[in-house]
Amino acid sequence: MTNTEDLPEVNGYSRVSVLVSAVVGLVVAGLALFWAQGFRLGYESLYRVNPSVEGGGIGADWVFGNTIPALDFLIALIHAADVIMGAFILVMVFIHWAAFQRLAGQMRDPGEDVGEAVAADGGSPAPGEGQGGDSS
Amino acid sequence: MSNLDHGKFTRVTTLFHSLLGLDVFLLFFTGYAIMFNDELWWMLTLMGGASGVTAIHRITGIGLVALVVFWITLQVISSTGRSNFAKILPAKDDVDAFIQDIQFVLGRVDERHPSARQFAGYKADEVPLLSYIGKGVVFIFSIELTLLAISGLLIWSKTGLAAMFQTKAAAMAFVTFHGLLGVIMLMGVMFHIFEHGMHPAFYPVETKAFIPRSMVPEHHGDDDEEPDTTGIERLSLSPSWRTVSTVFGAMTVIGIVSVLIGSIFDEGYPVPREIAIGGGPSSILLTVGINLGMVVLGVGLVLSMYGNVLRIRWEQQLEQEREPTTAADGGEPQTDGGQPESDDTEN
Repeated sequence: MTNTEDLPEVNGYSRVSVLVSAVVGLVVAGLALFWAQGFRLGYESLYRVNPSVEGGGIGADWVFGNTIPALDFLIALIHAADVIMGAFILVMVFIHWAAFQRLAGQMRDPGEDVGEAVAADGGSPAPGEGQGGDSS
Repeated sequence: MSNLDHGKFTRVTTLFHSLLGLDVFLLFFTGYAIMFNDELWWMLTLMGGASGVTAIHRITGIGLVALVVFWITLQVISSTGRSNFAKILPAKDDVDAFIQDIQFVLGRVDERHPSARQFAGYKADEVPLLSYIGKGVVFIFSIELTLLAISGLLIWSKTGLAAMFQTKAAAMAFVTFHGLLGVIMLMGVMFHIFEHGMHPAFYPVETKAFIPRSMVPEHHGDDDEEPDTTGIERLSLSPSWRTVSTVFGAMTVIGIVSVLIGSIFDEGYPVPREIAIGGGPSSILLTVGINLGMVVLGVGLVLSMYGNVLRIRWEQQLEQEREPTTAADGGEPQTDGGQPESDDTEN
């Protein structure tokens, strides 16, 4: 008997697939690292964009330096996406929050589980029995 | 008997989910500290300032590339992946489930649509692999992670950007794009944490994503007793659920709103579309709100770890339950914990 005989049939991923995928993932990540590091350090230091912890200033030349309208549009677009998606996500939070409240209303209140039904039968409360393991 | 605990994910999926979560949380904490450095100056300092935080961000970024490529490859080359893909495509049921959720909240219907349920409640076959929210999470996060990885690599490779656009402004535009894209993901992850942490039946964390379905027995009792309902009425509400879910829900909403306002207000650090004068916390409320959003993420990280602790406990429990069976076969249970036949072929 195997130790999983009593468990459901599972259509999992084969080991070969997992291994091949892991190798591909690592190789691509390595190549990405190699590419991202670049070959000319001069550019790296020239174009470095650091967080301006110690005051503003970085980006001040954006308005003057940008000669590509498409980039400006891209940023405006992503701003709009932020707002639209943010509003949508908030709606989803509120719907689920309210749904959870209703679901909670269908559940037994804390301490209620062993009280009414069992006592009405005249028997003593037997916690855990027939509760699906959630009677605590 | 209740059927609330059907596992749905394979072991590979649960492990991938945990690794991806850990990586993405690290990316958020570092990226968040950079983008909202005014409000999260302490995080930036804690992680070694500008150079330390960008170093961690890049290392975890490469980790993200590895994970994303691993997952895409696995879905393409394995039959399981290909068959699962069909199951997560959006369908009419998902629209119905969204509408029914609104009706459920308004009290027009008594139950959530099966495609909205995070748990089975019926036979496992009758419940989709993912709820409509789950499908949305998979698709939206997949697109965002891919775009974030590509734009992140472009920002990293200044030589690559320079070759394409020849201007410093272009590099900075990509930083802005990357940061603002991250904000969408950030808001989505906050909702994701709330959704899977505050469900009253699973509070404090839904274990579906941590305990693989191979470890979840599907039949607990009498086979003839197929439940008519989801079985939720048999469950007891945790005493702390109401308070914690209210507080955490408020924090989630405040966090999302603050990050959203911050992204508009900051115009996407570090490239203002108009010259920005000054710096520092622009508003106490915004600073508090964004920090609360960070706490929500922190709770998500803790819950993810807790889910893995539950899986380990569950594994130990299964081992203990099986040991007497092994002895009853006539053999002597000399091994402590080891299985006579370890069947690890399932992943």
